[in-house]
Amino acid sequence: MSGRFRLLFAMLAVALIAGCGSLGVKPWQRDVLAREEMQLDSEPLDAAIDDHLYFSKEASSGGRSFAGGGCGCN
Amino acid sequence: MQLMAASCALLGAGAARSQETHMAPPDSGLLEDWSVDSALAYYHEDGRIQAIEPVVDVAKIFADGEALNFNVTFDALSGASPNGALTSRAAQTFSSPSGKLQHRYTTAPGQLPADSNYHDDRIAVGGTWSVPFTRVDQVSVGGKVSAEDDFLSATVNASIAHDFNEKNTTLSFGIDDEFDSIHPIGGAPVAASDYESAEKQTGSKTKDGVGVLLGVTQVMTRTWLSEFNISIDRFHGYLNDPYKFTSIINSAGGTTGYEYESRPDQRTRKSAYSENRVAWSSQISTALSLRYMSDDWGVRSDTAQLHLRWTLSNRDRYIEPTIRWYRQTAADFYTPFILSTEKPAGGYESADSRLGAFHALTYGVKYAQKLPGLGGRPESEINIRAEYYQQTFDERAPVPPGLQGLDLYPGLKAVLVQIGWRF
Repeated sequence: MSGRFRLLFAMLAVALIAGCGSLGVKPWQRDVLAREEMQLDSEPLDAAIDDHLYFSKEASSGGRSFAGGGCGCN
Repeated sequence: MQLMAASCALLGAGAARSQETHMAPPDSGLLEDWSVDSALAYYHEDGRIQAIEPVVDVAKIFADGEALNFNVTFDALSGASPNGALTSRAAQTFSSPSGKLQHRYTTAPGQLPADSNYHDDRIAVGGTWSVPFTRVDQVSVGGKVSAEDDFLSATVNASIAHDFNEKNTTLSFGIDDEFDSIHPIGGAPVAASDYESAEKQTGSKTKDGVGVLLGVTQVMTRTWLSEFNISIDRFHGYLNDPYKFTSIINSAGGTTGYEYESRPDQRTRKSAYSENRVAWSSQISTALSLRYMSDDWGVRSDTAQLHLRWTLSNRDRYIEPTIRWYRQTAADFYTPFILSTEKPAGGYESADSRLGAFHALTYGVKYAQKLPGLGGRPESEINIRAEYYQQTFDERAPVPPGLQGLDLYPGLKAVLVQIGWRF
């Protein structure tokens, strides 16, 4: 595993530990988080169409979710 | 649960929506229970490919928290597809593998060789089913089948998400398995074989891949949501593009022949992805995503994308400008041409520009208008967006005198226009 990925794993672990600590809100404080624009998948079709474009034109894909489906032979 | 559902949906290949914004009335009729998201996209490259892509996604969330969604995508592509050969000062004639019948086409001097008769249709059907099995755990399973004239892909995925820390933290794990069957028109060329000899193999080729993704989603504050994912996937099998070949040139820059590309038969990719959504005020919010990817072909890439949403009026309209920056290094075996004096013996090589070193910028803007809901739904939305995408090559290999002055790395310019309707 490369050094860069070790660092990223360490960041994930820190994020997890931090998540168990003081971060976060109470259930009655979720009004802003409930807005459409605060959802991680707020525009799924835009994301899918963009992902397919980038999958076909670049050497990278995925990250946000799994890549897959399609040939990209053009 | 909302956070967990979103995490689970993101892990799957499908596009399940959050529970908050698309909750359907539980007691309405069959069709009225489903939310519908649809779009029609038109994509146009400067002098190359154009595509029309309609997409429909239907989703339902049941009273017990189960969620089901199905989506159908259709692509019709046509235009001129670069074949990998290098621009030359002489006219170049090729035999096209596209279409049912072989035909020949000639590229004029100074022009990028591209098969102007390229045509392909794709249809993809997918679905995801998410089930909460405790108050803080949810599983999702999904699948997708994508078919083209010369390509068939089947994908299954499963993921599990666990909430803790008063549902402020969600830990997700997903696995994805893909199986592809490639049956190139005219047969699959023998890797690294001479183009003129047209040495083709009959029957289809296959490749398969498996990927895992580990993610954590964290509510940071009342106005800040953060996500971090790490994923690894590994593909094995036929990874060549059967329609791409590489020019062989002499020391003067003249093209002496072509050779079909030859890529390794396996590839492992690792990526790290983070996304932060922040509401700066009641009207302004941003979504910033960063991705780093590397693979064992030598490609390293960085991606940064920023969406800014400006909500107008009484939350019934919004404008969303977007900017994306992308940069990648070249694959170890990428070469824009092969010098006849240095022709590698049996080595990997590809002149596919998508494996070269370049950077790309995307500028986009979206406008959406909320409308009264249909059939008892809380609201509907119509939207339109446009994007401009431009690739620019970063590394240019020294070329023989005869090729100097030619645009050997023309890059890519493309526009995308999309209209959408959600109800």
